[in-house]
Amino acid sequence: MRTVAVWDPLVRLIHWSVAVAVFLNAAVLDEDGSAHEVVGYIAAGLVLTRLVWGLIGPRHARLAAFPPNPAAAMRHLAGLLKRQVPAHLSHNPLGALMVYNLWATVLALGLTGYMMGTPGYYGMEWVEELHEALFGWLMISVALHIAGVIVDTVLTGVPLVRAMIDGRKRLPPGWGEE
Amino acid sequence: MKRPRRTPLSDERRALVLSAIILLQGLTAVFFVGDIVYDLILFGRIEGLHLWLEAFAAVALCGGVVFLMLELRRLLERVAVLDRGLRAARGEMAEVIEAFFTDWGLTPAERDVALMVLKGVDNDTIARLRGTAPGTVRAQCTSVYTKAGVDGRAQLISLFMEELLAAEREDGPGE
Repeated sequence: MRTVAVWDPLVRLIHWSVAVAVFLNAAVLDEDGSAHEVVGYIAAGLVLTRLVWGLIGPRHARLAAFPPNPAAAMRHLAGLLKRQVPAHLSHNPLGALMVYNLWATVLALGLTGYMMGTPGYYGMEWVEELHEALFGWLMISVALHIAGVIVDTVLTGVPLVRAMIDGRKRLPPGWGEE
Repeated sequence: MKRPRRTPLSDERRALVLSAIILLQGLTAVFFVGDIVYDLILFGRIEGLHLWLEAFAAVALCGGVVFLMLELRRLLERVAVLDRGLRAARGEMAEVIEAFFTDWGLTPAERDVALMVLKGVDNDTIARLRGTAPGTVRAQCTSVYTKAGVDGRAQLISLFMEELLAAEREDGPGE
């Protein structure tokens, strides 16, 4: 068993902070309250910080380590059905798409949430509807994200949740990068 | 009030603290920049001393965040180097070698060949052992050297030698 330090502390802090923020806004806070607004902006700010880190951070945190690649994601999905998935140091291609999706959704939620409170868009129904549709999509995405983590953990034998807590991926013996 | 005893922060804890600071500053920077963008949309331009000062503060803050991020990256790289050196010193050379191979993205075949090269096996013997043509082994070696960023067998071996020597220096004499 080899362990490789993959997720640096900033990546982990941002990951769990976003998770807490999403949970608070989805299940705890009153959606008309100002706390909901503040937590939403914090979530968007966390994603923006992560994007900057993705440009200048260390290798595994960089966006270049997991570029959006739908073709590779489809291949990964096909491998999934055959229960053959290689372990990846960074995100696997399918997981990478999910990462970009989650970031984009959180940012879009922040933007539409902001628009709902601006005079120019105040009371406009489509903004509110878009915000709610995005929220629904975020919930679906979170469910898929968690399911993906479980499936990947079972198939590759790499405990991913633990890797996001202490930053280290425990790779099965004989593991080689693709 | 009792003062807590000061212990030097380990590098990993330092990295964690630095990350938390970056996070807070990043959020603050987003807030300030958002505020200024909002003002710009509202007024069309930056006007008055107050707004200019605000803009300056925002730019300075962004610069600070980027600087801290680069600091954190350097710290993390240092932690990684130290960790590698320690492992080598503990006789975990095999693991260090594996880690390098993984870093370079070697294929399983290339790993095999590279390991034999490190052990001093010549190309013809590698070809015989692996049941491939000598040309294949040569191609695999070239690929390994390219991925490792070295120009040949000797440099590849010296790469790991350096790792060992660095580890001894790091560890100091005696346990």
